[in-house]
Amino acid sequence: MTTKTIKVDYLARVEGEGALDLHIEGGQVTTANLRIFEPPRFYEAFLQGRSHGELPDIVARICGICPVAYQMSSVQAVENAFGVRVDGQLRALRRLLYCGEWIESHALHVVMLHAPDFLGYPDAIRMAEKHGDAVRKGLALKKAGNAILRLLGGREIHPVNVRPGGFYKVPSKAELAPLAEELKQARDLAEDLVHWVATFDFPDLERDYEFVAMRHPDEYPITEGRLVSNRNIDIDIAEYENEFEERHVAHSTALHSLLKRRGAYLVGPLARYALNYDRLPASMQSLAAEAGLGPVCNNPFRSIVVRALETAYACEEALRLIAAYEMPDAPCVPLEPREGEGFGCTEAPRGICWHRYEFEADGTIRTARIVPPTSQNQPSIEEDLAAVAAPIADAPDDVIRHLCEQAIRNYDPCISCSAHFLKLSVHRS
Amino acid sequence: MLVLCIGNPDRGDDGAGPAVAKALEGRLPPEATLAVRSGDMLAMIEDWEGFYALVCLDAASGGGEPGRIHRIDLAEEDLPGDMAFLSSHAFGLGEGIALARTLDLAPPVIIVYAVEGRCFDGGTSLSEPVAAAVAPAAERIIAEVARLQEAEHHA
Repeated sequence: MTTKTIKVDYLARVEGEGALDLHIEGGQVTTANLRIFEPPRFYEAFLQGRSHGELPDIVARICGICPVAYQMSSVQAVENAFGVRVDGQLRALRRLLYCGEWIESHALHVVMLHAPDFLGYPDAIRMAEKHGDAVRKGLALKKAGNAILRLLGGREIHPVNVRPGGFYKVPSKAELAPLAEELKQARDLAEDLVHWVATFDFPDLERDYEFVAMRHPDEYPITEGRLVSNRNIDIDIAEYENEFEERHVAHSTALHSLLKRRGAYLVGPLARYALNYDRLPASMQSLAAEAGLGPVCNNPFRSIVVRALETAYACEEALRLIAAYEMPDAPCVPLEPREGEGFGCTEAPRGICWHRYEFEADGTIRTARIVPPTSQNQPSIEEDLAAVAAPIADAPDDVIRHLCEQAIRNYDPCISCSAHFLKLSVHRS
Repeated sequence: MLVLCIGNPDRGDDGAGPAVAKALEGRLPPEATLAVRSGDMLAMIEDWEGFYALVCLDAASGGGEPGRIHRIDLAEEDLPGDMAFLSSHAFGLGEGIALARTLDLAPPVIIVYAVEGRCFDGGTSLSEPVAAAVAPAAERIIAEVARLQEAEHHA
């Protein structure tokens, strides 16, 4: 029997440090391990004993790409524990801030990190020699997203303006207005991006995922909703631990999240889209149809199209929020700490970001639990890798390696977040 | 002209950039803009728009003598391939400059000062040789800015 081992010792164009080991025996893929060796970061432990007020600024440091996701889930949990609801324009500003993060994060991944895979370039720099317009558009989109973060968050990386109850400072209608001009252009650029990525050649792979995402009565989910799946999960976010569990695996410093009864599940753009297609405005449904997408997409390689579509949606939604904005009377609602437990869950660009905290009577954090999107997607990534490699198990190592790396980047994995994650090794025997 | 100091003060010698920026505060002419960035090169490309010259300082790991200051004029030579400009993001300084040049977004003049570092561990401060290189690096940038201003006036 022929044994073969293919290794990618250090995965490029992903955030953080990880690797892939593939074991092939007699032409069959026996193991596909995503090895995450980013050091553990112990956020949950060192949040213990800190004040609830410090929480959004500390958790923002978990990720330089999606700090808003951590901030939003954490403040939602504080407010849930203390019995406060943030509504009206403060809620709208939070959704607008989150749109900025979706735009900058999605644009970075679609254009700079993932598109080179489909067009046969080693990186965005080489791709820019032939596709300069697309790269310029990607940079302009990222800039538009960053402009929202800078205005509402105080700065684009690790924003500092979010607090439990609202914000430290809110903009006037006049201060928000200039963003609209940049976002109108960004929306057109994002539509171009959808049409561009829809022309790529996609490997033929359909997977039977259990999609998990949030669902809101009226909105495409970003900042709140129930947790739902295409296999009959429909729960309050407080019931998350009844359905899902985290497990230690020997090959990863990141915990693996699994459905207690069914194993791997998928969070992120494909899941959000499949479970909330009916919540997209007609303009975005039309754009999806133009890009060849039906209401459900099970091909992980086409996630780049959904991610581009969500970029366009975030621009349109941001414009809607700005047009309807009226400056609130106060930048935040008052909070009275009390002993208790609070839950927060929002849709980070890569999928749901779930938080639970227990607080002392004075608002000090007693315990913290944070489940980032990439740790939830790890088992699905490994199942995708086995499915991708199986039909080409006899192909040269370079061919397997390239397609596997591309499959990992379908997830826009944030290894830094999940190790609180890339090298590829193929072992043939 | 943009003077860009790059680095993360919480990652040992990667903090050389922010330390030099602090030493430059109030000592640059009004025509020079001083900026400190933590390492997102794609965001930095936005910073370069409209400037005729970019002087940037970053820590580097080339296996050479810690604290040694290199000056690289990109009109005359490329960034050395054996010198890694550290970034936890996907795009480091070399990639950012290469992308900006490919897209015609790079300033015509780019001077890179690289300070060789020894330790880039999280939670550590500057090593002794790199700390000792901060003041000399600041002086060299002040002189560089003056030279570039003079050249611009005579252009």
